[in-house]
Amino acid sequence: MQRVAITGLGVVAPLGHRVEDLFTNLLAGRSGIGRLRVSLQEKLHTPIGAAVEFDPDEYFAPQRLRMLDRVSQFALVAVARAIVDSRLDFTKEASERCGVSVGSSMGGALTTDEGYMSLYGERSERVKPYTVLASMTNAPAAWISIDHGLSGPNLTYSTACSSGAVAIGEAARRIRSGDADVMLAGGTEAPLTFGVLRAWEAMRTLATEDRLDVSRSCRPFALDRDGLVLGEGAAFVTLESWEHAIARGAHIHAELSGYGLCTDVGHITRPTVEGQANAMRAALRSAGIPAEAIDYVNAHGTGTQQNDSVETAALKAVFGAHAYAVPVSSTKSMHGHLLGAAGALEFVIAVSSLERGAVPPTMHLDNPDPLCDLDYVVGRGRTDLALRHALSNSFAFGGTNAVLVASAPA
Amino acid sequence: MSTLTTLQDIMINDYRLTRAQLAPEAELSSLGIDSLDMLELFFKIEERLGIKIWNEVPGSLRTVHDVVAYVDDLRARQATVRDAPVPDHRVTPP
Repeated sequence: MQRVAITGLGVVAPLGHRVEDLFTNLLAGRSGIGRLRVSLQEKLHTPIGAAVEFDPDEYFAPQRLRMLDRVSQFALVAVARAIVDSRLDFTKEASERCGVSVGSSMGGALTTDEGYMSLYGERSERVKPYTVLASMTNAPAAWISIDHGLSGPNLTYSTACSSGAVAIGEAARRIRSGDADVMLAGGTEAPLTFGVLRAWEAMRTLATEDRLDVSRSCRPFALDRDGLVLGEGAAFVTLESWEHAIARGAHIHAELSGYGLCTDVGHITRPTVEGQANAMRAALRSAGIPAEAIDYVNAHGTGTQQNDSVETAALKAVFGAHAYAVPVSSTKSMHGHLLGAAGALEFVIAVSSLERGAVPPTMHLDNPDPLCDLDYVVGRGRTDLALRHALSNSFAFGGTNAVLVASAPA
Repeated sequence: MSTLTTLQDIMINDYRLTRAQLAPEAELSSLGIDSLDMLELFFKIEERLGIKIWNEVPGSLRTVHDVVAYVDDLRARQATVRDAPVPDHRVTPP
């Protein structure tokens, strides 16, 4: 069985276009959540989100851009950054041994929304000819393979909020089994459009806007938490077999040591302690380490009533007394919930934590919930820590619970 | 406006080409226009010239002239259909 090396990281995220900037902002407790500017926002109860500052013309020619939904634009830019970071030259690789694995929950939602606006809103019969190509959920993955000439597996996973973690975990399995040498894996999401925001509002899962400071609207693990805040962006990792990375003298950020998957089958949205705990146990088994070896947990921590108390109970079920000793933080309090990209972004953050010996905080947790009584690194990041293993949780509507473990290279 | 001028106007705007490059004999492929670009091109032609293209555009269109001839043919046929008397399907009761 091959070990899996993480040799590249790349993001297009609220709070940063460089992993360094993102991590520095998170450590400082800065929030990327603010008022949105989307069409029809006057019809939204809470027009807030974590948007990315992104000018597509900086990266793509106009002719190309017409075919790329924002979700593909994010993916292509983030993956290019991961490739540069890993210093891989795909012209020197066996193309069929290199693949792509992408998670996305809503695919080209902006294109779909625009098409519906034209057809139903404006009662037009005309819809842009690239609507199918731009909105299909596998478009980001397809463009990555085309741009970089990678003819190995090209896969898209859509498991709602765990899509990004599943895409990375499944890519790691292909490397572990020896089926691929290199996998570009991550998640991408661009859901900040009226139709999507309104649909999430209708589910009553979005946080209300904080009246004093909009950036404090997402409050994971707090007594006064009242929902998640949607975000957009993409995060990618370059995964390689350990031998392949060593042979070319690559810098190894960390080892992807564990991946656990488990499904809640009781309800379409309601998480279970057992399901989340089993996914964490599976990830620890896969990493071959005991729960006590985990030095940091990047929680799923959405800021919803349901998730945060269940996740806390699941952590206690798996970690026992160690649950109270290990720092657990929800960075969604700052970068929002990137849906299909969330698991990938948070895994990149977990890897950065290991590398820097630092743990980002959970922000806006001023009112503790008695049901959430772990060390959530409240309000202030920590540095100068010796971290060997970090665990990143991703849970989802539909029940697909995915957990990744990263370990310091040894 | 002629079909050629309309086509040229669209392509000058969307593909940063010059009118000189868009002579009738110019090859679309050498102008960097592929089959996907053609989809968008025809989407705009429909709007400007008030015609409808429902099916796959033939792959045999290689030059600017080929596109103009194809569109002119459609314009002629669709104009005929528009101007033709509407058939009366009402059934006269016996």
